[in-house]
Amino acid sequence: MSGSLKLRLALLDNIIWMMLIAFFSVCALSIPAFATWTNLVNFLYHTTIMSMLVLAQGFVLMSGNLDLSIDAVLAFAPGVAVLMSVKWFPGLLGSPWTAIVLTLSIGALLGLFNGFCVARLGMNAFMQTLSVSIILRGLVLFFIPLSIFPLDPVYSFIGKARIAQLGNIPAAIPVTFFIFFIFHVLINYTVFGRNYLATGGNARASFVAGINTNRMIILGFMVAGILSAIAGMLTAGRQDSVSNTMGNGMTLLAFAGALLGGTSMSGGKGSAFGMLGGAILLGMFSNALNLLGVKVTLIHAAQGTLIFLAILVDRFRVSLRSSMLRKEQIRTLHREEDRGAEYTVGKPREESV
Amino acid sequence: MKTPALTLNGISKIYPGTVALDRVSFEVYPGEVHGLIGKNGAGKSTLVGILAGLIEPTEGTISLGGRSFRTLSRVRAKREGVAIVPQEPELILDLSVAENLFLGELPSRKGLLDRKTMRTLAEEVLSAYGTGINAGLLAGDLSLSERQLLLILKSCVVEDAPIVVLDESSAPLSGRDALILRKIVEDLRSRGKAIVYISHHIDELLEICDRMTVLRDGKAVAVRERASLDHASLSELIIGEESSLTGGRSEDTPTPGEEILRVEGLSRWGAFGDISFSLRRGEILGLAGLRGSGRTELLKALAGIDPADEGEIFLRGNSVRFRSPAEALAEGIAYLPEEREKEGLLRSFSIRDNLLLNSFGNVCGGRFISWEKSEERALAVFREVRVKAFSIHQGVDELSGGNRQKVVIGRIMANSPEIYLLDEPTRGVDIGAKKAILSIVSERIRNGAGVIITSPGLDDLIEVCDRILVLSKGGIFREYERKDFSEHRLFLDMQGFGQQERRGGRECQAV
Repeated sequence: MSGSLKLRLALLDNIIWMMLIAFFSVCALSIPAFATWTNLVNFLYHTTIMSMLVLAQGFVLMSGNLDLSIDAVLAFAPGVAVLMSVKWFPGLLGSPWTAIVLTLSIGALLGLFNGFCVARLGMNAFMQTLSVSIILRGLVLFFIPLSIFPLDPVYSFIGKARIAQLGNIPAAIPVTFFIFFIFHVLINYTVFGRNYLATGGNARASFVAGINTNRMIILGFMVAGILSAIAGMLTAGRQDSVSNTMGNGMTLLAFAGALLGGTSMSGGKGSAFGMLGGAILLGMFSNALNLLGVKVTLIHAAQGTLIFLAILVDRFRVSLRSSMLRKEQIRTLHREEDRGAEYTVGKPREESV
Repeated sequence: MKTPALTLNGISKIYPGTVALDRVSFEVYPGEVHGLIGKNGAGKSTLVGILAGLIEPTEGTISLGGRSFRTLSRVRAKREGVAIVPQEPELILDLSVAENLFLGELPSRKGLLDRKTMRTLAEEVLSAYGTGINAGLLAGDLSLSERQLLLILKSCVVEDAPIVVLDESSAPLSGRDALILRKIVEDLRSRGKAIVYISHHIDELLEICDRMTVLRDGKAVAVRERASLDHASLSELIIGEESSLTGGRSEDTPTPGEEILRVEGLSRWGAFGDISFSLRRGEILGLAGLRGSGRTELLKALAGIDPADEGEIFLRGNSVRFRSPAEALAEGIAYLPEEREKEGLLRSFSIRDNLLLNSFGNVCGGRFISWEKSEERALAVFREVRVKAFSIHQGVDELSGGNRQKVVIGRIMANSPEIYLLDEPTRGVDIGAKKAILSIVSERIRNGAGVIITSPGLDDLIEVCDRILVLSKGGIFREYERKDFSEHRLFLDMQGFGQQERRGGRECQAV
């Protein structure tokens, strides 16, 4: 494969970042307040919560399922954890560290329940997670009719604290980047990541090939639950309270971010950096419109248009990619024919040396 | 003499590189049951495709009731009165039996569905042949045999076409339902319909048909009256006299090593019963059998995909029980699925990732992936199975059928298993790829491992196997050593004359 083809393929595969850079340049040139340090930190800070949900949704999509309950878990996990810690069992679970562990465990357990129902009981992921989402929202309203505040500084640290040593940026930003890095390694450099992607690509074939596909699906939902719980802690920390409306309506936008980032509704595709790009583009887009003084209601409509464009670009990308590869294939064949050689790949065969 | 209802006149179908049908001619008269038989690859399915209007013939004409056509489309075939009963039950499982029966021409009054009439008509049709199927049930509630029967009724009785093509319709039928099919065919004959009856079973054809056309290598080698045929002469026509495919090649076959797999009394309800055999290291064991003989089910049971209900599997002398393919793989058993696209390949993965699908852990020796090692291993396998592609980073979608199959074979080799279960490795690949795959099996795979292989055609098995077990009706009918291989005898044994149905173990049979 020639170098330029490799480069073009790499650009195509990371098209979300190309779009991001293009959009950033346009905004930086046309909106004066956009490319300032304060604004960049500000909108990245705002993006952290959504990016956790995008990662959660994207991760479940990779295994060929979907999770409608992530925004409900976002409110339920920290809500119940804080209630248990400060109100129900203050003596036993009073420490803020236990509250953090509780939050993550509740997220994981809810994911386990979803995953078990989908993988083992064969329920439809859409209906199962929809029902869980409605149940959790209802329970949150029941348990937290008003909001709970203030929170322990340890608990609200990742959502609120700023790190002086790092130019006073919010802790949420490095934490988010770190989590994305972990997922990048998990997806690309572990056997689990391969098996997980394979399950989404063709569950039956993966099962026949000896992959424990049920476990993959259950783990996927658990990971989504934990990430949603982290998003919940980020939200609670930022507003220094737990309220019952946290995360309302964010699930569908999380789909959009994941799709922008290159995951597919049919599973088997996705990368952590792509999803990060998708989340940032969503955030950057509404930030830019905000700065331009566009009304909030219109921003929603504009985001919808952005998603539509992303799907269009993706279709275009797929056909462009295969036509590029086909042309290259034809070229290679001609070259081989000219030389009269057999197909060789990579290093030349040892016999021919 | 009557005029024929259907005449095929010099029909040829040429695919790039192969001639599927070579000037086939025969005619079917009203009130005649015309049998069509031939080995796998003889051209039966192409012929059915042409009659159904799915395949366009390269040459020749088809005459239907006096009108001549160069080609039929699906719509035209239907309009000209050709009804086809397909091999795979194509029903809408969420609709009722009655609705399925009348789908396409549901009885209605002023645009409103007339359920009452539909129900009465359906019950009439169903009870006329004593099927015992309740018209109100959902199609999904029926057994496979009943679903097939429903399709037969739909095409033969409800559509009331003058020409009916039954494409291996009896294969999924239970004993009782097969009798009902016979009754339906008798009834059609007496009503003056022209029937094309395709089957693999010689005795079934001899019992039902008035005349028979035998296909061999795309040619109609004989059109004979029933009276002039018996078992021996018919099977001779099917296989051909010049057949030189016999075992006992002089070349030295490596002597097999110790026993690595033994199966005792293995049964799975509805699929196979009381299967016992053993496999030695370095040995290639063939499973010969018709569709529905239980060969695929047996391999799936050994691979842990659809585990057996009864019986024992001994692996290197230890009794094992696999409940999933993952467990079987951990013990060194690899299964090559029959349905390559559905169960074998991941279309969203590159060739490399397909090759290493389940061996990343082995190749990299841990939980983390070393892309360098993986690349190396994938390339080695890629060259070993000789996939024709310019890069291992290509998508599998861009490969031909034969090369895709090589990728799947490469994948199961990448794990270096001890036992290979190859379910029709040569299905749907061109002749070149077939040769390549068979040589991979006999030269590479058998080294240090045991192989069990099935194939759509006997010639593949005769070429590579050391031993062949003939399966029929869910049981082992006979065992052949290499020196005794003879296509003729294997073919006759596959018919399973006198073989009892064996599906499920003793306990199951009592149910």
